Amino acid sequence: MEIALVNAVPFALAACAMPLSRWLTARALGSLMAGGMALLFVILVGYLPTVSAQGALEMLIAWVPSLNLNLTFYIDGLALIFALTVTGIGALVMLYAGYYFEDAAQAGRFLMLMMAFSGAMLGLVLAGNLLSLFIMWELTSIISFLLIGFKGKDKAARVGATMALIITGGGGLALLAGLMLVGAAAGSYEMAAILNSGDLLREHPAFLAIALLLMLGAFTKSAQFPFHFWLPNAMSAPTPASAFLHSATMVKAGVYLLLRFYPVLGDNDLWTGLLLTVGLLTMFIGAFWAIRQNDLKGCLAFSTVSWLGALVALIGLPNGYGLMAALVGIIAHAMYKGALFLIVGTVDHSTGTRNLDELSGLRAKMPGFAVATAVASLSMAGVPPLFGFVAKEVLLKAMDKAPSAGIVLFVVTAAAALTVTMALILFWDVFMGKYRVAVANHQPAKDVSDPHHPLGDDAYAAAPHHHDAPFPMLLAPAVLGVGSVLFSFLIDPVIKPLIQLTLGTPISLYLIPPQIDLAFQLSMSALAIGFVIFITRSWWRALNLPKLPTGPEVYRAVLGSIDAAGDLLLKTQNGKIRHYLIVMLIAVVLFVVFSNVANVVDWSRARIEIKSAADVLKIMLLLLSLGATWASIAFHKHILAALALGMAGYSIGGLFLLEPAPDVALVQFLVETLATVLIILILAKTSTREREKVIQQAQRGTPRHSNIRDVIIATVVGGIVTLFAVAAVVNRPSRQTVAEWHMENSLPKAGVNDVVAGIITDFRGMDTMIEITVFGLAAISVYTLLTRPPAGKVWRRLQQHTAMQVGEESSEVRADTTPRLSTPLTRFAATIVLPFSFLLAMAQLLYAGVGPGDGFTAGVVTGLGVALWFVAFGYDETKKRLPWLRSGRLIGAGLVLAFVNAAVPLFFGREFAAITIFKELTLPASLKLASTTFFEIGIFLAVLGGISAMMEAIAHPKEVESL
Amino acid sequence: MNILFAIATGIMFGLGVYQLLRRDLIKASFGFYILFTAINLFLLAAGAFEGTVPAYVDAQNEVISGGTPSDPLVQALILTAIVISFGTYALLLSFIVLASRRFKTVDSDEIDDLIG
Repeated sequence: MEIALVNAVPFALAACAMPLSRWLTARALGSLMAGGMALLFVILVGYLPTVSAQGALEMLIAWVPSLNLNLTFYIDGLALIFALTVTGIGALVMLYAGYYFEDAAQAGRFLMLMMAFSGAMLGLVLAGNLLSLFIMWELTSIISFLLIGFKGKDKAARVGATMALIITGGGGLALLAGLMLVGAAAGSYEMAAILNSGDLLREHPAFLAIALLLMLGAFTKSAQFPFHFWLPNAMSAPTPASAFLHSATMVKAGVYLLLRFYPVLGDNDLWTGLLLTVGLLTMFIGAFWAIRQNDLKGCLAFSTVSWLGALVALIGLPNGYGLMAALVGIIAHAMYKGALFLIVGTVDHSTGTRNLDELSGLRAKMPGFAVATAVASLSMAGVPPLFGFVAKEVLLKAMDKAPSAGIVLFVVTAAAALTVTMALILFWDVFMGKYRVAVANHQPAKDVSDPHHPLGDDAYAAAPHHHDAPFPMLLAPAVLGVGSVLFSFLIDPVIKPLIQLTLGTPISLYLIPPQIDLAFQLSMSALAIGFVIFITRSWWRALNLPKLPTGPEVYRAVLGSIDAAGDLLLKTQNGKIRHYLIVMLIAVVLFVVFSNVANVVDWSRARIEIKSAADVLKIMLLLLSLGATWASIAFHKHILAALALGMAGYSIGGLFLLEPAPDVALVQFLVETLATVLIILILAKTSTREREKVIQQAQRGTPRHSNIRDVIIATVVGGIVTLFAVAAVVNRPSRQTVAEWHMENSLPKAGVNDVVAGIITDFRGMDTMIEITVFGLAAISVYTLLTRPPAGKVWRRLQQHTAMQVGEESSEVRADTTPRLSTPLTRFAATIVLPFSFLLAMAQLLYAGVGPGDGFTAGVVTGLGVALWFVAFGYDETKKRLPWLRSGRLIGAGLVLAFVNAAVPLFFGREFAAITIFKELTLPASLKLASTTFFEIGIFLAVLGGISAMMEAIAHPKEVESL
Repeated sequence: MNILFAIATGIMFGLGVYQLLRRDLIKASFGFYILFTAINLFLLAAGAFEGTVPAYVDAQNEVISGGTPSDPLVQALILTAIVISFGTYALLLSFIVLASRRFKTVDSDEIDDLIG
């Protein structure tokens, strides 16, 4: 539980950052966040003795147990090393960031993201469940995206952010697939179970896929060749973010993943071969490009890439030879690279430039920083007795055990020499020599197409004057610099136990090598060669290298081809809805044809038996409904077609009556009436000119072949539906169905004689509840659509657009809402009908369980009464005379009543929507009361509200105005 | 008998699809309406048994007048379907009114803003 709190603290602080930035200065805010991180660091240190005494700790909080998704924390030495790095470096960076930003609001936004990232990163390294690990992994990618794009107005920032997101996000997908395979293969998503599974994964048939997918995830995240290029392009992030995410923590997530899964996936030919090759390539390419950068952050980014390559190569070594070196390397790198990033940020902050060509001799103005840089770069170069030297020693020693060690050592030494050069450039060219800051004609390099200048300017506009950095900006890199010295002398008391705890085996680690071995010799030669390269820099800097396709170019080519493919596809769009429909229908037809469903029908069982006179009547009604449907197609005039449609509906109602299904027939008749009324009212609302134009168009303008095409499609679809329908009817079991159960139980369980009402209100009551919700929402949508013109730019543009098209033609504007049908007779009829409809509705509600009719029919009956009012009296008068008619409230009341009625049994210890029958109540006129009655009333209210909302919308005067 | 219902469903569905493919939006909406009806007809055809009396029981939980009751389940489904189709159809009609206001036409071929 406690560790969950530890993980929650950064998220909580992140949530506070923005609100607090109103009251606190940027500095106070930064210090507060730094304090939080420092506290977490101390707490995490407190775990060390426990873990070394008891081994890995596991804490599980069930989250979504049905998905095997638990919030599990798994704390072992490895997790602690990473967690300590995150919190330790995090504390220093947060403190620094408070001084880096001057504007509190900007600092608030930045620190919010940084703290959220810390939370995600802690969650990632402490995760004990594969899925929660993945979620945290993605979270770090997303926050990294937001931080790289922090200065979103800058194009370089946007491009770099998108690039990072696409590459790490794509790797994240691969990781998800890999983790799911691991989960399936190991039978568990819990880290502890997987780590104890021994050789299970290595011998699993899916091993190749698992290993490749996880590696892809790790390589993209940890910027390995050929995905390395996103990291230099990510340098448009504010420098504290670069120091934290893109050097010390997030880019090491891939390394963490590889280390985490080493015990179950590592140490085989595939693992060694791939990791060693990719790692060494990355190491060399990174070091090579680093010294050719002009931007200081670019130098640091490429040298980070190089070091990440070294770590990956170390993890690739067989028998776990490289693990110790990798862990030492992670600690060493976090120290010196974090310090260097923060120093570069300060240089930028103080001088307004990070361009190597424009800087020199800064030691005169920034003596403290000069010392810190000297320590950090010497550690980076691997000069004894700094901790970087130890890291390089163990690196070389481990690489000596690699397969084909000769080549490996050669590459590693070359890369190490280039790193030495880089370190010297960083210190000497910036801080030594004559003081000069030349930012004349300073053009922030924004064009990412140049791989040597991928970066934009930083949070500060180019300022030619120097201003001094406040002391805490020195504090953070100084602490890290001191660490680089101190750790060398703390190997025995601190580093060695920590790493032994992680690896679980005793290791030999020392500052001064007992004898002069090969590693020491190579280390020293790297220093010498690096120094030589440094001296000759004016010569090789002038050299022009042959141009090779760079990562960003390939990336842009890939994105460009996707765009081009999209444009090509867009050409197939003609914008005509009917054509899309035709394509969809043809697809369905093809699917059905190729899936061979015609064989589903057992024709031998298909028999037509006409048993009674009612059957003859049914056939006639069927023919009538088909004929009326046909007529609705054949009639060109809309009003005639609508009436024919109504007739078809009535015929179907007659069929329901003969079924015999009196409840359904009643609803069908009522709804059919209502629908016909609605169609006619809507027709009156649409401009006659438009409608006549389209009718003429359809008659004359339709080419013959397109008509034939439609007939063919309709015939084929109709034929397929016939097949399905016949199959469904013929193949279904005719007895022993759930219907029997409903027949037997509706009286005892639901207390109704009408079985259909029992199903509606009880057995499938949830359906009904959802149904009235949908109906109410549809009605409200109709009301909203018809009465309120959409606000905003789009609508105004459309109005201009249409105004241009039709000219200044004014539509029918009626100020008076009294309809033409308002005669004394219709008014009289409406006045009489409404109360009667309520009477009818009440009868149907009260006897819903006994006879035909229920909440729906009651609602529709009164709805028709209300519709008549709108027709006879118009909008204004109806609203005035019927003040209770508030459609929205009626819908709401109906839904609330239905829901409360269903929820009440919960308070009596029964399940949701349980039925109560009040048997003791003796009511007159053989009336029965049950909780379903209230449900019916709720349905009634919702349906009445829905229908009156629709009618009101059609009669609404605004509806006319907005035409 | 149910076979006839099933075949009628198919025919009505075909008619609905043809109507749906009209360029006249109002007529196309009628096509939708026909499809709704066709599906209700299908549900009716899918009823488990061919009843002769309504699905009601008397106070002794016996089927009233003793015949074969019609399948109550499909009736409940149709009941729900009718109300939902009506609500959906009303929404569709108001979309057409809106389209007519914006584009000053109810001809779907003239509304071609979908072209990218």
